[in-house]
This record gives sequence, C-alpha cells and structure tokens, in this order.
Amino acid sequence: MKSLVLENLSKTYFDPYRGTQFTAIKDVSLQVGEGDFVAVVGPSGCGKSTILNMIAGFVPISGGRILVDGHQVKGPGPDRGVVFQSHALFPWKTVAENVTFGPKMRGVGKAERARIADEYLALAGLSHAAERYPNELSGGMQQRVGVVRALANNPDVLLMDEPFASVDAQTRMTLQEELTRIWEERRPTVVFITHDVSEAVFLANRVVVLSKGHVLAEVAVPLARPRSWTRLVEDDGFKALSNQVLQLVRSA
Amino acid sequence: MIAPLQLLWGYYMRWTVRWPALAAFVPFLPLIALWSLIVSLGVFPRAFLPGPLDVLSKGWALLYKGILTDYLADSLARLAVGAAAGMAIAIPLGVFIGLNRRAYEISWPILLFFQAIGDIAWLPILLVWFGFGLTTMTFVIVYTVLFPVVLNTVLGIRTVKPELRRAAQSLGASRTRILFEVMLPGALPNIITGLRNGLGYGWRALIAAEIIVGTSGIGFLMFDARRAGSVEEIVVGMIVLGVLWYIVDSWLLAPIERATGQRWGLVTT
Amino acid sequence: MTDEAVSFSPLPYRRTLAAVKFIAPLLALVVLWQAVVTVFAVDPRVFPSVPTVLRAGWSTIVDGTLVAHVGASLWRVTVGTVIAILTAVPLGIAMGVSKGVSAFLTPLFRFFSVLAGIAWIPIATLWFGYGFGAITFVIFNAVFFVVAYNTLMGVSTIPMPLRHAAAALGANRWQMLTQVLLPGALPNIVTGIRTGMGFAWRGLIAAEMIATNVGLGYMLFLARDFYRTEVIVFAMIVIGVIWLVLDRFLLAPLERATVERWGLVQS
Repeated sequence: MKSLVLENLSKTYFDPYRGTQFTAIKDVSLQVGEGDFVAVVGPSGCGKSTILNMIAGFVPISGGRILVDGHQVKGPGPDRGVVFQSHALFPWKTVAENVTFGPKMRGVGKAERARIADEYLALAGLSHAAERYPNELSGGMQQRVGVVRALANNPDVLLMDEPFASVDAQTRMTLQEELTRIWEERRPTVVFITHDVSEAVFLANRVVVLSKGHVLAEVAVPLARPRSWTRLVEDDGFKALSNQVLQLVRSA
Repeated sequence: MIAPLQLLWGYYMRWTVRWPALAAFVPFLPLIALWSLIVSLGVFPRAFLPGPLDVLSKGWALLYKGILTDYLADSLARLAVGAAAGMAIAIPLGVFIGLNRRAYEISWPILLFFQAIGDIAWLPILLVWFGFGLTTMTFVIVYTVLFPVVLNTVLGIRTVKPELRRAAQSLGASRTRILFEVMLPGALPNIITGLRNGLGYGWRALIAAEIIVGTSGIGFLMFDARRAGSVEEIVVGMIVLGVLWYIVDSWLLAPIERATGQRWGLVTT
Repeated sequence: MTDEAVSFSPLPYRRTLAAVKFIAPLLALVVLWQAVVTVFAVDPRVFPSVPTVLRAGWSTIVDGTLVAHVGASLWRVTVGTVIAILTAVPLGIAMGVSKGVSAFLTPLFRFFSVLAGIAWIPIATLWFGYGFGAITFVIFNAVFFVVAYNTLMGVSTIPMPLRHAAAALGANRWQMLTQVLLPGALPNIVTGIRTGMGFAWRGLIAAEMIATNVGLGYMLFLARDFYRTEVIVFAMIVIGVIWLVLDRFLLAPLERATVERWGLVQS
C-alpha cells in the first residue's frame, strides 16, 4: 500500500447550452499517507464523488495533479481499487469469480486464484457463498464482496464511494465494524467518501469536510482502536468529534 | 354438471403437478372437442371448416407420402440458414455500433428506417433482382432476423451499467477483456431477446415468401392447397407451423432467455 | 446524489437538434444512393435514381393512386386493430381473473399468438374471398391473439396485495375491474398492441400482395409485374415512413407513458 497526494486539484465542466464554465472542484489539496484512512464528508453536490472519480481516473481532471506512490494518474488502473455504492459486481460471474477478476486480468493461474478466493472470502466471512451469483445475495453480502474484490487485487490505494449508503441501518453498522477490523489487520491506504458523519468519524483517522468544491476543514480522529459501536456509541470523545464534524457539515 | 367438472379439475391439478408437461397439451383437448362439435352440427359447410378427423387423416396422408416431412425440412433449413447468417452479421455489427458513439449516431436512424420498411416489402424488388428462388428467400429471412438482433444488441451494449465497465477498468482489465468479460455478457439477455423477436418475425416472413415465391415449404403447401380448395391441407399446415414454433419458442428460446436473465437478475421481458 | 453539473437548456432547441440528428443520416444515405447510381451507371431496371423515384412518387400523388392505396391499407389496419382490441381486452381480463383459468388457457393463447398473422392468409382468403374481408381478418387475428395473451398475462401478474388492498378499501366487482385490473394490465395491453400491430403491418403487406387489387402491398406487386423499380422503391419508402411514424410517434410513446410513469419496469 502506497501514499496518495492531491495537488491543487480542480474540475470545471463546460455547459454547451449556456456556453459557460461551471466549477465543480477548486484547488483541493490532500495528502494521504501509506496505511492511512481518510474519510471525505460533505453535503450532496459538494463534489466529493467527483474527487473520487478523478482519483480513480474515470473523469479527466481540469487542473492540478494526482500522485499515487509518486506516479501521476492517467486514467483508471489496478493501482487504485474502487468500491462502488451500487456494488458493481458482475452479475454473470459467481462471487468467487468476481473476487478473483483482478488477478485473472493480471494472468494469475487457476490454482493461485482459487487460493486468493479462499483467503479473501474467509476475510469477508463469505466462504459459504463462493459459488453463488451476486443477484442471489443480500445487499450487505454484495457490498462485502465488493470490498474484498477491490482488496484481492492488491491496490496501492482503496477508494470507497459511499459503499454502505444503500443497506439497512443494522447491516451498515456490521459492515463498518468489519471494515475497521479488515483495515486494522491489513492497513490499506483508504479514501472513504460518505455523507454520514458518524460513519466517517467511526472509520477514519482523519475526516476532511468538503464544501462547494473546496476543503472546509480537516479533523483528526485520535480515537483508540480496535473500534466497535458498542463502545463508541457511549464514548464522549466520539460524541464530541461527531458533533464538531456535524457542525462543520451543516455550516457548509 | 358442475360436480363432475370440479372432480375433473381436481384430477387435472394433481396430474399437472406430477407432470408439468401435461399443462402444455391438455388445454387443447376441450378446444378440439368444441371444434368437432361445431363441425358435426354443420354450422359451416365442410369445404370451409373441416373436422379434426378429416385434418388428421389428411395430415397422415401427407406424412405418409413424405411431402410433409420434405416441405418441413425445406422450411426449417431456410430458416436455420437465414437465422445463422443474420446473427453472424448482426451481433458483431451491433457490438461495433453499441461501442462507438459516432457510429451509433449515424446508423441508428438508418437502422430504424430499414427495420420499418419490413422484410415482406422487399419481396417485389428482390424478385426483380434475383427472380423466384432461394436467393430471394434467404435474403428476406436474413433481413428480417438482422434488424431485431442488431437493434437489441446495440441497446444491450449501451445499457451495460457504466459502473461495471469502470469496475473492470480499475481491476486492470484491457479493452479486449472488457469487451468479452463485461460488455458481451451484459448485452447477452438483450441479444437473446432480439434473437427471439427476430426468429418470430423471420418465421412469418418465411411463410409469406413461400406463399408468394415458393416452390416448396409449408407456406407453399398451404397456398397450393388454397388454389386447389383443399381446406384440410391448409389446416394441417397451420397446425404444423403452430406446433413447431410453439416448441421452438417455449422449449428452446424462452428457457435460454430465462436462464441468463433470471439467475443474473437481468430479466428483460 | 451525483455531484455532476446538470445543464439546463430550452426544450424546443433540444428537440430541433434531436430531429436534425435523426434526419441527417437519412439524407446522407439519399445522397450516397444517388452518387452510387450515377457513378456506376446502374441500370434503372435494377435500381432507380433519386429523381426518377421522386417523379414516380409525384405522379402517384397527382393522379390520386397513392392516396387510394395508402387509404385502403390504413383503413384495413384501423378496422382490424380496433375490432381486435375491443374484443381481446375484455376476453383477456375475464380469463385472467382466476389464476387456475388463466394458467389453463395460457398455452392455448400462446399457440394462437405464435400462429397469428401471415399463416392465416390462405384460410382467410378461402373463407372471405379476395379483398377487404380476408385482409382485415388477417390483421384482426394478428392483433387479437397477441393482445388477448398479453392482457391475460397482465391481469394474472397484478400483485395479490393490490387486489386485497382494493377489496379491503371496499371496492365492488365493477370497481375492482375498472380501478385495479384494467389499469394494472394496461402496460401489458399496450405492449401487446405494439407487438401485434408489428405483425399485422407485415401481414397486411403480404396479404395485399396476394389477395387484393388496392393497397400498398398491391401497389408494390403490380409495379413488379412491369419492372417499375422506381415505383417499388417509392412504395417501400412510404411503407417505412408510415410504420416509423406509427410506431415511434404513437405506439412507443404510449408504451413509455404507461410503463415508465408507473414504474412498472418491464422493457
């Protein structure tokens, strides 16, 4: 896992009907160290998904630079794993085939792929579902597969775009706890986009608050690990931090 | 009257649970009974509406003489050749147009227009070009199968979710791999729907072509019988066509469509 | 939830742009056609040039034959389709009300809807003789069986909770029919009409080639007898345009209006 640097990143769209430029992102700079976990929060329309899409290489940048492990980003690539809100699993591939899609593209052999599938499905607690199709899984299981599919490809940076936004509240808390567990075990470099303040504070080492396309504030989260909801829900430090971030988001 | 019917219905329900295939045959029995009742009451003259037994014996005679099997083989061979050629052109073309925005914008109106002209309207000019024969017939079937498959393939390729393509890209898939691992499977349910529609239209076009230009085939059999005034032969032809297509559509095409669509959660019909 | 910029524009402008984008490739095709005919000096009996087709078209308009042919074809389609819809929808709903009855009858209607249209031409001409009756009958049964089958499917797939809800809210049988069953089956009915008319239109052209002395199909076939390729091509264009207008500006919007607006995704 390697570091991620954003330097004066900006994004403008051309509106062909009005003939004017529209600025979605202006002058965003951010450093994510190796093995760090950064959450980006902000109200909808603040540009957080645009930033993630630019880091992933899905959307071209208008200005500034994006560096992964010192190399400038040009288009999508396997050095940045992406977890999508809509899980984006391939419906015609089984769970195991989805998880080993990245290694298969690299030309990893069949036996090694089977080992990777075993390892990562065990990590997600999904060993029993290896031969099922995504359509046959619950929403929470689909997201788990989405997360380990990205991890199994050994990316330098893991980009997560509101991955838990469309599952029910109970499942979301379980998934958040599993994600911290996996992160604590393997220490990937993570950028996590969300609009849920307590999710951001629960998961991250650092929370970046975004407003109208620029960085409003950065808040460090010095809470002890391992983290679990049963402990943090009554924790004063957690409450204070959540409140602080919430005030920032609401003022945005 | 009601009680025996209910008893019968009860038996029917129990037997169809054990042999689901029964449900595809038994409903035709009351219809055939009704048909023979109408015929025996003499509502219509025999020359207009023959009875089931007349049709059966005629069908047996045609089968015995080998005419029916020969004509059926001719029709099916034409359909198979036409459908195979149509697909071989349509799927690559549809994939190309679906992937290429410029090609899509240029060709979409043209495709819609040529589909709207309809296969059968081509018959007269094809007769001018190729005369009465196999070329004309093959052209019509290829043309008929082509458009629904191309249009649906384009639709399928274009409606593959962009996140799936993005996911494959960020997992390191090359353009070729994305085509084969993502775009084609994603478009498959649409392609099969297109094929099903195309064969449905192609099969009708074949009948029309055989009626108008034919020298053999089920359509020719029916129209030849029409000229001779043999209504039994017409009905034999209709039943053969119906049964044949019923089998192809419900035992071959529909299950394939369901197998891909349902397990993957991509039901298109 | 997307952070993308949304651009607004005056609607008429966008519509014009879409129309231009649709027509431009077709015009380009006409130019290409004329270029090929000129450059390769194609025999007019094999394929006509653009001006001869226009002249042929103009003369059929002036002498009134085009109006007569198109009128005859459209009249047959209208009569056949209207009768078919008026009979098929009530029948389909009546049969679809009971799960057992609809399951029993489904194979029958499948059978007849795969047989619908062209396969009836020989027996229709025997029953009704050549002319209006036979052709209208072919159109009628092309639409009838497909619409009845789709109505049957539509009614039997209305979720039971909807029917229960209506009953619990005090709907009587008639209200159940008009407020729940008919609207619930409407998307399927419209889809059935669109599919059925697709078969009917082809059946019409085929039947007119065989069994009449007026109509677009007859116009095509008559021109063939005299090797008048310019008339054939003109009639083909007319057939294409009529169906495109009918399908894209009447049937497809109707289908979209019911299917999409109610969120009953099934395309």
